[in-house]
Amino acid sequence: MIEMLSYEFMQRAFLAGVIIAILASVSGTFVVLRRYSMISETLAHSALVGVAVGLVANFNPLWMAVVVAIISAWLIEYLRSEFSIYSDAVLSILLSGSLAVAVIIVSLGGAFNNSLFSYLFGSILSVSSEDVVTIAVFGTLSLATLLMFSKELYFIAYDEEVAKTSGVKVRVLNFLLVSVIAIIIALSIRVVGSLLIGALMVIPTISALQFRVGFLRTVLISLVFALISVVFGMTFSFYFSLPSGATIVLCVLLIFIISLITNRR
Amino acid sequence: MKFKVPIFEIKNLDFSVKGQSILSNISLEIFGAEYIAIIGPNGGGKTTLIRMLLGLEKPTSGEIRIFGKKLSSFKEWSKIGYVPQRASHVDSSFPATVLDIVKMGRTSQRGFFSAFSELDKKLVYDAMLKMDILDLQEKMIGTLSGGQRQRVMIARALASKPEILILDEPNTGVDMASQKSFYALLRELNREDGITIVFITHDVGVIADDIARLFTINQKATICNNPKQVLSCQEMSELYGIDAHLLHNHKHEH
Repeated sequence: MIEMLSYEFMQRAFLAGVIIAILASVSGTFVVLRRYSMISETLAHSALVGVAVGLVANFNPLWMAVVVAIISAWLIEYLRSEFSIYSDAVLSILLSGSLAVAVIIVSLGGAFNNSLFSYLFGSILSVSSEDVVTIAVFGTLSLATLLMFSKELYFIAYDEEVAKTSGVKVRVLNFLLVSVIAIIIALSIRVVGSLLIGALMVIPTISALQFRVGFLRTVLISLVFALISVVFGMTFSFYFSLPSGATIVLCVLLIFIISLITNRR
Repeated sequence: MKFKVPIFEIKNLDFSVKGQSILSNISLEIFGAEYIAIIGPNGGGKTTLIRMLLGLEKPTSGEIRIFGKKLSSFKEWSKIGYVPQRASHVDSSFPATVLDIVKMGRTSQRGFFSAFSELDKKLVYDAMLKMDILDLQEKMIGTLSGGQRQRVMIARALASKPEILILDEPNTGVDMASQKSFYALLRELNREDGITIVFITHDVGVIADDIARLFTINQKATICNNPKQVLSCQEMSELYGIDAHLLHNHKHEH
């Protein structure tokens, strides 16, 4: 463990990983309770379009991922509210559409290489100091926004219509929530990878829900699970040279199975 | 009473979906401290009417005023407590204690980041006391019985200190004993606390002595100003034979 942390790249990866664990689990609670689990998958694929543009045009891929994910989140909310398309169909269309666009961009740009692979499955080797700063700054802003509106978002998750009739600005807050989720997902794909970030958002909360406790405790349990998964997942990634996203998701899956069994009734 | 500004003032309200009329030409007023029961057959538009009053549906034409203001410019939603039909059916895995749910009633009156104030605490406590659920406050909502959940939902609505409570058949799936104490509570809220109550129910016979007026909604609205003599309301009997029959039975029991 000490040896592992003596590498600078590992210090950066751990710092980024811990921030992402906090962001993914706290936002994940709202994602799961709003039945938005699939939105995280879709936004992660949309973020890939940003990464592709960044890689090909030589912009910062992380920044581009944030921008494209936010646009995609707004598009989802708009399509859901303005057209009578089933919301899971909207998510499915945007998911495959984004992936197609991303693959075409990187293929045309000749960037279909290791660097894209690391964005798909996460990599502890590739987290730069610039990435850590971006993750810390946007992450803090996103977390502050979530905490600021947590009681409203919780109420909306419980009963959207009753929240609306008691004066909560449901429409604005729905847009805000998906925007924050988009930012958090875009930030996370560096470490966890776009194909696997959905799991880190959803599974810690689903595991915490098995304990059947109140809201605050559910968030805290989910947070602890996400942190454990990220720390152990990155450690395994380091010692066995595996993509970090995959090892993190396996850890969180193990926690889920244990939660399920120990809370069986 | 009639000189005061009504809480709700509805004029010539129409609502249709894809050309099919659901409600037509509804005009009515609801005044402060009234207890109004709304009955009508399923699909007759009761819930639609309530949803329009709450701004959840837009009328095709007509006007709704709340506390004298147009619905679109009305801001003081905390004055209105709403308990929807599905209140007693809660997703059993939702991570909420009874206290978590009742605190939601304070949401829109609290600022961002602001801690739960002494006033918030007091109002939440009072609402739970009133609904007799203080001993349940640490329990998970999913573990409660239908009757207990119903009380929690009303407590949440009461925590915002509403002037009017709108309840849409909240007692589906609740046992008889709980229903009776629930009706007693509504009467108490109306008579002692002066809260206006608008109650969509199938059980109008049981509360006939409590209510001030009875609205029958079946595409059109019929208003009975003296619900105890509701059988003499010719239109009502025609519109809604079954409930009139229930009332009739109820009268014979006494």
